[in-house]
Amino acid sequence: MEERVNRRTFLKLLMGVPAFGAIAAALSPLLRYLKPNLPPYQLNPLTVGDKPHGSPVVAATLSELREPWSYKYFTFVQQYPQYTPEGFKNATVPGVVIRLPRKVVLPWEWAGEKRKESDIVAFSRICPHLGCIFNYVPEWKEITSGYGGYVPPPDRRHALMGCPCHLSIYDPADPDVPGRVLSGPAPRPPRTFLFAVKEGDIVITDVEPGGIA
Amino acid sequence: MGKLGVVGEWIKDRKEHLDLFDETNVHRQGNPFYLLGPMVYYFWLITIVSGLLLMIWYEPTTAGAYNSILHIQHEIPLGWLIRGLHKYGADALIIAITLRIYRMYFLGEYKKPGELSWMIAFASLILAMISGITGYLLIWNQRAFWAAKVVLTVPIYFDELPLIGQTRFGSAIAYIFLGGPAIGQATLTRFYMIHFSISVIALILTEIFFQRTRRKRLNMSLASVLVFFLMLAAISYLLPAELGRRANPDRTPLPILSDWYFLALYQFVKYTPPLWAGLGPGLLIAFGMLVPFLDRSKGRRPSERPFFTVVGIMALVYFLVFTVLILFNIAVIERDPPIILAITVVVLALGLLWEIRYRRRQLGQLVSSPKPAENPASE
Ligand code: FES
Repeated sequence: MEERVNRRTFLKLLMGVPAFGAIAAALSPLLRYLKPNLPPYQLNPLTVGDKPHGSPVVAATLSELREPWSYKYFTFVQQYPQYTPEGFKNATVPGVVIRLPRKVVLPWEWAGEKRKESDIVAFSRICPHLGCIFNYVPEWKEITSGYGGYVPPPDRRHALMGCPCHLSIYDPADPDVPGRVLSGPAPRPPRTFLFAVKEGDIVITDVEPGGIA
Repeated sequence: MGKLGVVGEWIKDRKEHLDLFDETNVHRQGNPFYLLGPMVYYFWLITIVSGLLLMIWYEPTTAGAYNSILHIQHEIPLGWLIRGLHKYGADALIIAITLRIYRMYFLGEYKKPGELSWMIAFASLILAMISGITGYLLIWNQRAFWAAKVVLTVPIYFDELPLIGQTRFGSAIAYIFLGGPAIGQATLTRFYMIHFSISVIALILTEIFFQRTRRKRLNMSLASVLVFFLMLAAISYLLPAELGRRANPDRTPLPILSDWYFLALYQFVKYTPPLWAGLGPGLLIAFGMLVPFLDRSKGRRPSERPFFTVVGIMALVYFLVFTVLILFNIAVIERDPPIILAITVVVLALGLLWEIRYRRRQLGQLVSSPKPAENPASE
């Protein structure tokens, strides 16, 4: 039984530890070489000043969204402090604002707003699955024909939202969870925008943090 | 001799029998299936040379990449040919590697002493696919942009893993490959580097191998060389390599596909929760690399190792079926995965049963025959 670890092999192995450490120490600057010079988006900012700012944008006017299921696409620009020459880096978040036929509870816990009801909702169109841009599809039949053959149950046969990439389907009008995932691999409903109605304008002020920009 | 010595001996033996492309270890040189090795090498060289020529005109910037390829395709004399050779040469390369891997799998060529050859062939498929995905980002069209975004978002879900997820290594991977917080110029530069260096490094290593072993580089007749080249040139002329639409970060087109060899994987990503979209392929790769050590059966013929034959056929069928499904844009995500899972489990179980029965019978023969040494199944 030569295979048993004897004293000599054991000592040899022991000597390997500092050798390995030395190699790792020598290589670590190389790993740092790979590090990008733009910092990642600060999802948990250290100070208030580091928080991403969005400039308020008018997504639509109320008169544009009078009909139930009417919608409008818009783009919200968020500025992250990224120490670039301009001081900020822009990230655009495409969104959709929708008039629903009934009131739903807005999922605004992230903004500290609980149980606020509205028949207007605004979703970020960045898919919470892998980051593609999903569409608002006014005709549910188009979802069935274009997004993989999903047939919604009878009570959900209305406008839906669908992602071209992996066919996640969302229901914008779900009374409890607006944007509920009906089908597909998405792990959660899409993120929402904070908005206020001012003089007939729907003004978007902020977007739920997290996710992929 | 310690343990290290044993490992060294093992590697030395495998190295002697290593068969990168030349297939000179095989006696059935006339069989066209044994042209696959030289084909891999040949298509790879075509891809490298045409790639170097493309670098003369290609501009690796987000603003200029698409235009520079338009320019190559339509204005530079013979640009269409160089681009066609690069694209179709790469496709042919992937087809040849895949067929060769299947040949090695079903004929049991990965068994002793072919383990290392198999592992290198399998790794080369993975590397070729990585070259493919980093290469098609360089066009900076819609398909490329969204594919890169999707692929580099997958690792972020690794942060959900218990324990090791805490280190947020998934986000770190995405961050390093993106070269920043989102897809941009840095991503393009890094992909360009990866695309180029995979082949350069592999080429140097193969050259060392050829120098050391004095094997034949291209074990193929001149006629085949010409025919394959003309085939690629003809396809490039008849079916000019596609460009797609310019990347637009604000719109994902519907439907959106990827290169053909990723289609099955793409369908798989639709079916599974995002964490598994990353873990599944990882496990598949691990399985592929370890096949020579997992398959302990003695025989080389497919019928002599039923379970692994079943697994191989299943992989092939899934690849084809998933590709067809995605081409027809069929994916009912509530309905399909349970069916697929059930089929998989049943087929694997049947394969296992077949294996057990086969082994029992082998054993019975061994016991009944007076001289087991004469049994053809023993090595
Ligand atoms: S990115 Fe939308 S479903 Fe995958």
